[in-house]
Amino acid sequence: MIEFQHVFKSYASGTAILEDVSFHVGAGEFLFVAGPSGAGKSTLLKLIAGLEPANRGIIQVNGQRLDRLTARARPYLRRAVGVILQDTHLLQDRNALQNVMLPLAVTGQPNDVARSRARAALQKVGLGGKETALPVTLSGGEQQRLAIARAIVNRPALLIADEPTANLDKDTAKRVMDVFKDFNQVGVTTLVATHDEDLMAQYADRVFVIEPGRFRDFPVNKTT
Amino acid sequence: MKQWLQLHRYALQVTLRRLLQAPSSFLTNVVVIALALVLPLMGASILISVQPVAQHVSADPTITIFMTPDASLAVSESLTKSIQESKDPLILDVRLVDKSQAAESLRSNEAWRQALEALPNNPLPHAITVTLAADDAVARTAELFASEWRLEEGVQFVQLDSLWVQRLEALLRLVRIGLTLVTLIIALVVLAAVFNTVRMQALSQRDEIAVARLVGATESFVRRPFLYQGGLTCGLGAAIAIGLTALALNPLNTAISDLSKTYDTLFALHLPSGLALFVYLIAAIVLGCFSARWSVTRHTRF
Repeated sequence: MIEFQHVFKSYASGTAILEDVSFHVGAGEFLFVAGPSGAGKSTLLKLIAGLEPANRGIIQVNGQRLDRLTARARPYLRRAVGVILQDTHLLQDRNALQNVMLPLAVTGQPNDVARSRARAALQKVGLGGKETALPVTLSGGEQQRLAIARAIVNRPALLIADEPTANLDKDTAKRVMDVFKDFNQVGVTTLVATHDEDLMAQYADRVFVIEPGRFRDFPVNKTT
Repeated sequence: MKQWLQLHRYALQVTLRRLLQAPSSFLTNVVVIALALVLPLMGASILISVQPVAQHVSADPTITIFMTPDASLAVSESLTKSIQESKDPLILDVRLVDKSQAAESLRSNEAWRQALEALPNNPLPHAITVTLAADDAVARTAELFASEWRLEEGVQFVQLDSLWVQRLEALLRLVRIGLTLVTLIIALVVLAAVFNTVRMQALSQRDEIAVARLVGATESFVRRPFLYQGGLTCGLGAAIAIGLTALALNPLNTAISDLSKTYDTLFALHLPSGLALFVYLIAAIVLGCFSARWSVTRHTRF
């Protein structure tokens, strides 16, 4: 599903974020990306989502080499990758249903189909009765789940989430992670960046730890 | 095809939603563009209304050759014959107006009769009227003939009746060039107005565009609502401009009608043909779309 071969990434200031990183993630894996703030967790996720280019090395996602992907083909890859950023980027002037319908509108789905699929996605993340609610009226956890619903409505093969539980209490964070786990169990490869070691221990098959100048890849002993 | 239609339907919905969110801004833009578009349309209306009049007048351009008062009838007849025998295809008719015939004709008018009776003898010269075939170069042709006939024996003066037509044609040429320049300037004004509106709109929709790209929107998907906005603004502007021009021509025509009656003729300003107006409308829409595309491509690189 994801293949990194000798990938280097540094910022314009010259600060190296990833140095010679190589790994392979198979379909259906559940991974966490851990590490201190500023170590490069978000950068790694953005590289996978094709939101930022690598300086060197080869990145393959869903069978496609990102450095060879044309600007025209890039949106089609993004449709196969559900992305949930730390800031949920919900459209504040549209209700929950309309927010979730956006990825379907992008693919030209008829309105009725888009509406029923968006409703189903909202049901799946536990926001069944909140179709007409504006994002501003939802709690932090509900907004995260709304962002998840938007990310999964196009049935992506890969789900990427950057600190989705950062501002949530323990119970809400667990509910959000349960949603990810549910999708993972139906075959969606899932990568979650987090600081929360408890969640990692509970849900991860594998953890990437990013520290300045260092990348480690190891399995986790799950308690559940 | 169904998917393509759905994408366009969605873009149209997004466009209308954005316009309804700021209706006064949209309407102001439409009015500004409409007022700007009235100018070339009004100019075109005047030009196309005047052009046939000029063409009609120049259909029978005439040159009058006035002989010297002492030139004999024989000399005048000889010149008339020589012009007739030249068989030039541009010369349609040659007619000698005998000075006694001319005086007789003038005597039918009471005022002229009294004036002529007061004179010891007929002051009028023999005259030859030459009617030329009308073509695009009639003014130049007439000038050439006139310069040739001025050298003939007994000729005192050659009057080019087509001179004023030449002037009118030159004036219309000037108006045409002026109108083209005005149209180009107006097109630039419209381009700038739409460009700036779309720029503001694109900047205010930054989040929406970023999210759409995040979930896999193509650049066409991002641009499409802006193209609709540009096209709709200019299309409506052009439609209103046509309506305003039609309204403005009404009082103008009332005034022109009073004037033209004094010349015993009928003249009225009118809008260009339906086809020309349709082309004008489409051109405005294309201009709006082009400007919007240019603007949105420049201002959504983030």
